[in-house]
Amino acid sequence: MVAFGVSAVAVSAVFALVTWSLASQYLLRQREQSTLIQATSNARVVDLAVSEKDPTLPQLLTGLVSTPDSAVFVRLGGGWLSSAHAVDRVEPVELPRGVLDAVHNGATARQRVTIDGAPVMVVGLPMRRVAGHYLQVFPLRELDRTYRFLSSTLLLGTVMTGLLGALVGRWVSSRALRPLTELNDAAARVAAGNLAVRLPIGDDPDLAPLARTFNGTTESLQRRVERDARFAGDVSHELRSPVTTMVNALSVLQARRAELPPTAQQAVDLLVTDLTRFRSTVDDLLEISTVDQGRSELHCERLDLVDLVEQSTRSVRGGLRVEHSGARPQVLADRRRLERVIVNLVDNAERHGGGLVRLAVSGGEGRARVEVDDAGPGVRAVDRERVFERFARGSAARRELDDAGSGLGLALAAQHVSLHGGELWVQDRPGGGARFVVQLAQAHAGQHVDAAEGSQ
Amino acid sequence: MAVRVLLVEDDPRIRRALGLAMLDANYEVLEAATGEQALDVADREVVDVVLLDLMLPGMDGFTVCRELRRRGDLPIIMVTARSASQDIVRGLEVGADDYVTKPLVASELSARITALLRRSRPASQQVPLVLGEVEVLPARGIATRRGDDLRLTRTELRLLAELVSAGGEVVTREQLLERVWGYDYFGDTRLLDVHVRRLRRKVEDDPSDPRLVLTVRGAGYRAGM
Repeated sequence: MVAFGVSAVAVSAVFALVTWSLASQYLLRQREQSTLIQATSNARVVDLAVSEKDPTLPQLLTGLVSTPDSAVFVRLGGGWLSSAHAVDRVEPVELPRGVLDAVHNGATARQRVTIDGAPVMVVGLPMRRVAGHYLQVFPLRELDRTYRFLSSTLLLGTVMTGLLGALVGRWVSSRALRPLTELNDAAARVAAGNLAVRLPIGDDPDLAPLARTFNGTTESLQRRVERDARFAGDVSHELRSPVTTMVNALSVLQARRAELPPTAQQAVDLLVTDLTRFRSTVDDLLEISTVDQGRSELHCERLDLVDLVEQSTRSVRGGLRVEHSGARPQVLADRRRLERVIVNLVDNAERHGGGLVRLAVSGGEGRARVEVDDAGPGVRAVDRERVFERFARGSAARRELDDAGSGLGLALAAQHVSLHGGELWVQDRPGGGARFVVQLAQAHAGQHVDAAEGSQ
Repeated sequence: MAVRVLLVEDDPRIRRALGLAMLDANYEVLEAATGEQALDVADREVVDVVLLDLMLPGMDGFTVCRELRRRGDLPIIMVTARSASQDIVRGLEVGADDYVTKPLVASELSARITALLRRSRPASQQVPLVLGEVEVLPARGIATRRGDDLRLTRTELRLLAELVSAGGEVVTREQLLERVWGYDYFGDTRLLDVHVRRLRRKVEDDPSDPRLVLTVRGAGYRAGM
C-alpha cells in the first residue's frame, strides 16, 4: 500500500515536472515572441513619428502603453522620452544595463528583470530612421500568475495522485491478499485446535491448488487425530472387560484374605492396589477419549456451587467445610462433570499436594470461582501448564506412590471445565502451597434449565 | 432366604467373575447371556432383581427391559457406560428402576440391590393416601385411579407416596433421591426426572400439563393438592 502510494507520487511528480518545464518554457517563449513583435511594431511607429517630428509624440508614447505596469522609453540623443505612466513608476536608470548596451551596439535585446518587486520583460531595439533607441517594459505579472496557477495545480495533482495511489494500493492489496489473510486465519484456527476448518477453493488458478492442499492437509490431520482419539477409546473399552473380570475375581480373594497364607495376602494387596489404579486409568481414559472424539454432551442445569462442592466432597473425610462469603453463586453446568472436576482437584490435593487445607467458593462480576488449596510445595511457574497434561507426572514417579491415581485427573478436570467454557489454572496459595482455581460464568438471575425437560 | 439376582451379561468371563463375587456376598445368582435367555429365565424362575446390561447381542437391553416391565414390576437395575447419558435416560424411560455404570463391581452392586429391595417393602404409612382421583394404597403396594390399578412400579409408587405424604409441600430433589432410592446419589437429576415423567404418564390426565405431580423450578417437586 505504501509502495503503491510512493510510486504513484513519484510518477505523477515526474509528469508534473516535465509538464511544468515544457509549459513554462512554451509560455515564456510565446510571451517573448509576442513582446518582441509588439515592441518591433511600436518602435516602427515611434521611429516614423520622430522622423516626421510629430508633435503628439508624448501622447503617442502613452497610447502605446496598454497597462499601467508597462512603460515605453525612447532615447533620442542624450535624453529620454517616456510614456506618461512610466514617469513615476520606472526610471530609465532602472533599465537593465545589458539591454541598454546591446541596443547601443545596434542589436535587439530583451531581458527579464524585477522592477519594484514586479516581474517585467524589457525589450530594446535601435530605431532605424532616427538615431535612437526604443525600449519597452512589458509586465510579466500575468505570466507569473499563470506559472503560479500551473505549479499549484500540478502540485495538488501530484498530492492527489499520491493519495489516490495509496487508496487504490490499499484496495488492490487487500483484494489481492484476501486469500492469504484467509489462509492465515484458517491456519491459526487449525493451530488453536479446530481441525474442521476448510478454505473455499475459489476459481483463482494460482490460489485454488494452495487451498486444496491446505484442505487436504487439515483433513488428513483431522482424520489422524480422530483415529488416535478413537484408538485410545477403543483400547480402554477393550481393557474394561478384563478389568471388570479381574476386579470381581479379586474381590472374592480380598474378602477371603484372612484365609490366605501371608505371602498370598501380600500378593493380593499388591494386586488390589494396582488394579484399582488401573481401573481408574481405564475409566478416565475412556471418558477423556469420549470428549476427544466430540461425542460427549453437556447436560446443564442451574446449580448452587456451594451445595455442589459440598456434595462432591462428601466422600472425602466425611465431608469438608466449604468457605463462602454468604453469597451463593449459581452456575449452569453439567452436575456429573462439575462434581468430577471438584473430586479430582480434591483428590489431587490429597494425593500430591500434601493434603487439602481449604475449599472456597466465591462469586462476583458475573463469575463464580472454586478454590482448592493444598499444603504441598506448590507448582513451579514452568510446570503450571504441564500439570494439566495427561500423565503429566510421568509413570515412574506415579508408581512410587502406592495410591497415585489415574494420572488423568487434572487433565480430565481441565477438559470438563473447558467444555463448560470456564477456566482452570493453578497459582500460588498465600502462605505456601498450590491453589487450583475453577472459574465459571455465573448464571443470570432467572436463567434456568429445567432438568426434567433439559435432559431430553 | 438369599436374594436371587438375574445377571444378564454377554461377556462370559465378566459373568463368571461377577457371579462368583455375588455368590460370595450371599446372593443367589442366575445367569443369562442374551436377552431371550433373560426373558426365559425370568418366566421360569423366581427372581428378586434383574441386573441388565444394555449392550447385548441380538435383542438389546432396552427391549428386554420393556418386555420385563410389560410382564410386571420386577426391579431392574440397568448397566450402562458411564458417559452414555442418552442410554441412561432411555433405559429409565423404558422402565428401569435404577442404573449402575460400568465396570460392574460386586460391592457397589450390592449397595444398590439392598436399597432397591428395601423399596419393595411397604412404606411406613399404612393409611391410603389420596391425591385427586388417585389413591395410593401402601398396604397393597398399588395405586389406583377411579378404582383402576395404575400398575406403578415400586419405585414410581414410592415416589408418588413421598410426594403425597408431604401434603403439597415442596420436596427437594435431594430429599426425594434419598428417600426413594435410599442412598446418596449426589443429586443425579436423570434418575429422578425420568421417573417423574414416567409417573406423570401414568397418573396425569394430560402428562404435558401436569396437575398432580408439579415441578417447582430450582427446588424440586410437590403434589398438586
